[in-house]
Amino acid sequence: MISQELKKVILTQLDLDDFDLQDETMATQVPGWDSLNHVNIILAVEKHFNIKFKSYEVLRLKDVGDLQKLVDTKTGK
Amino acid sequence: MINIHFDDSKTLWERWQRNAQRTPDRDAIVFWAAGEEPFRWTYKKLIETAKKFSVLIRDAGIKKGDVCAIIMRHNALFYPLYLGISRAGALPAVLAYPNPRLHPDKFRQGLEGMSQRSGLDYILTEADLDPMIRPLYEKEGSTIKSVFFPLEWDYKKDIDPAKDAEVENIAKSIQETDPMLLQHSSGTTGLQKPIKLSHRAILDHVKNLGGAWQVTENDKLISWLPLYHDFGLIACFHIPLAFGITSIQMNPFEWVLAPVILLEAITKEKATMTCLPNFAYNVLAEKIHDDELAEINLESLRLVLNGAEPIRHDSHQKFVEKFQKYGLNPLSLACIYGMAEVTLCLVTSVPGLPLPELVVNRNELSKGFLKFADKDSVTRVCVSTGRLINGCEIRIVDENKIDVPDGVVGEILAKSISMFDGYRNYPEKTKEAFYDGWYISGDFGFKHNGEYYIIGRKKDLIIVAGKNLYPEDIEDVINKVEGVTPGRVIAFGEEDDEMGTEQVAVVAEIIDERLDKNKIRLAILKTGMEIDINIHKVYLVPPRWLIKSSAGKPSRMANKGRLAEKNDPLIWCR
Repeated sequence: MISQELKKVILTQLDLDDFDLQDETMATQVPGWDSLNHVNIILAVEKHFNIKFKSYEVLRLKDVGDLQKLVDTKTGK
Repeated sequence: MINIHFDDSKTLWERWQRNAQRTPDRDAIVFWAAGEEPFRWTYKKLIETAKKFSVLIRDAGIKKGDVCAIIMRHNALFYPLYLGISRAGALPAVLAYPNPRLHPDKFRQGLEGMSQRSGLDYILTEADLDPMIRPLYEKEGSTIKSVFFPLEWDYKKDIDPAKDAEVENIAKSIQETDPMLLQHSSGTTGLQKPIKLSHRAILDHVKNLGGAWQVTENDKLISWLPLYHDFGLIACFHIPLAFGITSIQMNPFEWVLAPVILLEAITKEKATMTCLPNFAYNVLAEKIHDDELAEINLESLRLVLNGAEPIRHDSHQKFVEKFQKYGLNPLSLACIYGMAEVTLCLVTSVPGLPLPELVVNRNELSKGFLKFADKDSVTRVCVSTGRLINGCEIRIVDENKIDVPDGVVGEILAKSISMFDGYRNYPEKTKEAFYDGWYISGDFGFKHNGEYYIIGRKKDLIIVAGKNLYPEDIEDVINKVEGVTPGRVIAFGEEDDEMGTEQVAVVAEIIDERLDKNKIRLAILKTGMEIDINIHKVYLVPPRWLIKSSAGKPSRMANKGRLAEKNDPLIWCR
């Protein structure tokens, strides 16, 4: 399940007030989350949680649920 | 040292075959996919597999002169398939694989418009797209004769020598003036113009441009650029293959998600050349952590070519500052300017020399004159796109098509021995594209000391990350958003200094000021997604706010200017 904290970071970066982000939500379904903006979202998540992703980890992400799992792994949750 | 002998081949297939005979074991294509060992097509293996595909293409009923649209994701079999189509005398037309956010109806509409205009005969794609494409080709009156899934063909089986000989005879019957490929300009609603290029145009161009880049036997060109784009197809695929050197091909979608993979591949393959749109310099310089760069070595690069969108001095500066310590030679930075109608390029930088840059008075430049900046000036740094390559001519003219002197801004008119053979089935557009035998570029620039500086464009084209977008396409769909007054929308490009590119902005009049503006904005963003366009900024304005042109339509230029006047309380912006 997507944490409110991760959701807030993503929506802030996309300048959206609200959007229904679920585990299976893919970037292509979210307004503003295009390939050019993807790198900015990843950097915003890294900065907020004070973590760093490897490029290959980012490449394997299929949906928001994967991103949540990766954040959880990195933050030791 | 230039040590490549460019022979007298009449067709691309002949040229590729001779390269395979000359250097059979050299890598032709190194196919990179993240996390996997690269797949290597030697020239010999590539030609042998292309021959098999050409027979399968013939077996499928595809004939000489037929247009084959290829809609595929990054796949190692793309390359022999493309060559095989050419051997069979058909014309490959590489089209973008639809992004999942693109609405299926919009994808079909675009394809249908393109097929009716270009006369696409066959679609070669992946089975996944069948449900999206089938309704289109089964439609009454469709020009599309069939859809094939070549990735499922048994290309490994031995081919019948008689059939192989038959296809070889077809290959030999192709004249150098025959069309070799179709390239489609951007657009989403059938506005795409199909650019027809002959074998001769491409062979001359790769020779002239490769010569200008001083291509040698030791070069290896690396690219993540999509092959439906002329910068990717001509610069990064046709040039290396025609010269018989190595092209390292990466997946555009992987690169944009993990830009560092380009640097890793350059390091491992010792690539010497690469081509990047301007925004990529910003992404590489600013979006990669230093700890991912520990193993990176860019010493092998001798040419890093910037093209496909306006060139920004700041982007180059950031790139050099970041990567000089990883072995990047600042003199490897180079530029290119041109358009698909001249095959690709008109001017490019001289390799190994510093890029000429002029610090000019921005206000004078906006009036059309080059004046060097002094201490009181608002400045702009103009980066030269280079010098004319062989076989090309440029005129810079005023609005009456009279030549202007050096240092005066005008419109670029072009001639090239590699000029396209017109837009296929589109004589009226072909005619509009020329003035007295000169191609009208729609770009503005000036010449100084033999160097050409491109500073803007006449057309309302928006270029986002090297991709050309037409405002009409965006306006058409936003006009239908609930709460927006139909016909009272403009779209234009806004500079995004951080990303080093333009972004799409939309101004829309709303029917009632009391409506929820955030809701309308979200609807606009979602509508943009359906045509795979990311709308970066939305301006909502009250009824009758937009200034109309003399034609009675909202004027993009005038309204963009009005937005620049800050503090208009009537504008809602997010």
